[in-house]
Amino acid sequence: MKNNKVVIGLDVRYLLPAVIASVAALLGLALPYASAGGRSITVWTLAGGAAGIGKPLALIGAIALIASAALAVVNFLNRSVAGVRAWVAAAAVATVCYTVLIIGSKSAIDGGDLLGTPFLVKYFGLGYWLALAISYVALIFAMKTAKINVGYIVLVILSIIWLFPILWILITAFRAESGFYVGYFIPRGFTVSNFSALFSNESVLPFGKWYVNTLIVASAGCVINTLIILGVAFVLSRTRFTGRNLFIRILMVIGMFPGFMSMLAVYNILKGVGLNQSLVALIIVGAAGAAMGYHICKGFFDTMPKAMDEAATIDGATKWQLFTKITAPLSKPIIIYTVLTNFLGAWSDYIFPSILFGDKQANYTVAVGLKWMTESRRIDTYYTQFAAGAVTVAVPIVVLFIWLQRYYVEGLSGSVKG
Amino acid sequence: MGEKTKSLEKSNNLLKIFTNGDIFTKLSFIIFGAANIAHKQIVKGLVYLGLEVAYIAYMATTGLSAMGMLGTLGTVEQGMALNPATGIFETIEGDNSMLILLFGVIACVITAAFVCLWLVTIYSGETARLLDGKGKRVPTIVDDVRELFDGSIHKLLLAIPVIGLVVFTVMPLIYMVLMAFTNYDSSHQPPGNLFTWVGMDNFKMLVASGGSLSSTFWPILGWTMIWGFVASFSCYFGGMFLAILINSKGIGLKKMWRTFFVITMAIPSFITLLVVATMLGDRGILNVLLQNWGFSTSALPFLSDKTWARCTVIIVNLWVGVPVTMLMVTGILMNIPAELYEAARIDGANPWVQFRKITFPYMWFVTTPYLISNLIGNFNNFGVIYFLTGGGPMTLDYYKGAGKTDLLVTWLYKLTKDSKDYNLAATIGILIFIISATFTLISFNLSKAATNEEGFQ
Repeated sequence: MKNNKVVIGLDVRYLLPAVIASVAALLGLALPYASAGGRSITVWTLAGGAAGIGKPLALIGAIALIASAALAVVNFLNRSVAGVRAWVAAAAVATVCYTVLIIGSKSAIDGGDLLGTPFLVKYFGLGYWLALAISYVALIFAMKTAKINVGYIVLVILSIIWLFPILWILITAFRAESGFYVGYFIPRGFTVSNFSALFSNESVLPFGKWYVNTLIVASAGCVINTLIILGVAFVLSRTRFTGRNLFIRILMVIGMFPGFMSMLAVYNILKGVGLNQSLVALIIVGAAGAAMGYHICKGFFDTMPKAMDEAATIDGATKWQLFTKITAPLSKPIIIYTVLTNFLGAWSDYIFPSILFGDKQANYTVAVGLKWMTESRRIDTYYTQFAAGAVTVAVPIVVLFIWLQRYYVEGLSGSVKG
Repeated sequence: MGEKTKSLEKSNNLLKIFTNGDIFTKLSFIIFGAANIAHKQIVKGLVYLGLEVAYIAYMATTGLSAMGMLGTLGTVEQGMALNPATGIFETIEGDNSMLILLFGVIACVITAAFVCLWLVTIYSGETARLLDGKGKRVPTIVDDVRELFDGSIHKLLLAIPVIGLVVFTVMPLIYMVLMAFTNYDSSHQPPGNLFTWVGMDNFKMLVASGGSLSSTFWPILGWTMIWGFVASFSCYFGGMFLAILINSKGIGLKKMWRTFFVITMAIPSFITLLVVATMLGDRGILNVLLQNWGFSTSALPFLSDKTWARCTVIIVNLWVGVPVTMLMVTGILMNIPAELYEAARIDGANPWVQFRKITFPYMWFVTTPYLISNLIGNFNNFGVIYFLTGGGPMTLDYYKGAGKTDLLVTWLYKLTKDSKDYNLAATIGILIFIISATFTLISFNLSKAATNEEGFQ
């Protein structure tokens, strides 16, 4: 009878499988942890004789497994919210330790020379795999019992995968040892000289100049392009005129050609008017194609009630006044979205600048410049500086992006409507 | 009397305008703005006339000869010739086929613009005549300018975009499309050599020759298709899964989790892709770590083996693309009425059934157009392929420079930038256009969005 006691905050349906799994995971402690060439070890060998990070991991993992099993039994006999929470914590510690051991075992086993041969993942024995798999099952059921969303496990794993490259580039940017190839993840020494080198060595690597170039192009571009997009979207959404449908169709057809197919011709035209290899050309070409991006903005304008325009027209407003006094002031989210995407676009635009500037290094934008630094014959010299450059470019943009994220989401989900 | 009223009706038929109009109308078919000047629109008429004079001057000096040379694309090859006057060999400049084609296209576009101007002036003159004939006030130039901010606001706001599009998009596109019908390849490079019209030869060579070109084209097209579908759908479902996960009840700190993934999106994609490419190389950190951790004894060919590389680009594309879909889906999820889920829960539907019966149908309905434009975008996804693998691994089975992960677009880029086979690049561009157009037409038929455009207002 006592076993069926209902406790608020617990879901007892999952209690039994959770208890069974937690206890079953103990099997892993007795079975061989790894074996090779006739020698085999248990997790206790690792916890006792290993070197480096492997030793505490194995010890904590094993103890946490025991603790989780013990807490499982305790909760099975007398359940309480606090008890189950403690159990989940123990199971989580065990799971994390065993998961990290998959990458930490080699150094631990080889360091203590426990197997006699260099360790490989395929030498893991039944004891390890059982403990790993069952500890996940136990954790999931224990979390379900405690009514904690199991999604956390997936989110943690995914976040690590997503943030790993970013962590790597951050670490590399502060790495003291230069060179592309290093046989370890954590640098031997940290320094900020990669950043100072980027901005001090103007003759070889004019990164400061590239940065300013990109800033100029992005700032000019986002203002001009936004004005053009707003104008086109307003006209196509709020007015009707002869040739409107034809214009929309023509834009659609143009959009179906690969954008940079025409870059050779554009390059020749720019050369003809003496604008090749210049930043102005980049801004002009960007503005010339801006109208193609009117869709999202038009979709937004389409949702504004027509009655507003009609009322203003009766009061004697001209179309220009409708645009500047009514539509534009009500479109703050979409304006911010357009400015933001155009600003970001200038930072990552690679194809056209790479064609346009050719070998004129001083006019490069950061995209072209950073790609230049990772070419195979330069990568060993510049890799840490490349990382520093990437961080320098990314940080302001990430801050800007996260700050204005709300508008970006609105624009993005608006885009699928229209 | 009867005939006079008839002639004051507005007509769009050029012939009717000509026969009904007065002498100035007839004159305005040849001398632009004649009707405007005669009917009190002097400034406007003079502007039209000025434009006509400018066009004639342009055609007389350069335009006509530029158009005339389009037929042959140049006949005089650069080379050495004996100069009879001095008795020594001198370099002859020769014709530059590339410039001839470019100037020819410019002349044609200007002529097309001139024809449009011709129509505009005739209609404008006719309007002025009718107003004048009815005794109404003919708008002056000041009125016209004022009208630009009201009824004709489209002329004001579209002027700059249209000029920009014509000069930097339409004209170059015409130029490149024409190039697909020439032999402007690496062995016909101006100014040293001439190139000329070859008709459909490039298309035949690419699609049906059985030679190295068509045995490059078809596999690349096949991979482009596989890539497009797998990349789009994996990101779509991956993003949807992630959004639903973060949005689900009981997950705390939603904003923090979202930010973790959004960071990868905020960093310019070329940076993340370059970084990931260096991480995945044979000596990159991932291979180093895998060996340090005992997963493998030698470097894994993430980017240097055909199958590995293809899987790698798809997985890395997930890493780049899932956050975008996640953000988009997050916005849409908030539009689904919460009562639907409430009712479903009461009826005992588990989360999977809720997803299948509520979330997914709604999502699918709303996002079909997005999915198709995303599909076309992925066919043309230059960045992921170019920055990650550069199209590699290279192979001798393919035409020079193309690799096993190359898409049609990256091959186009390489043909333009590295091997200078512009005719092939242009041909591929046209084929990409045909593919995109096909999918766009399908999406238009699938989605009702195009038909109820007015529905929201």
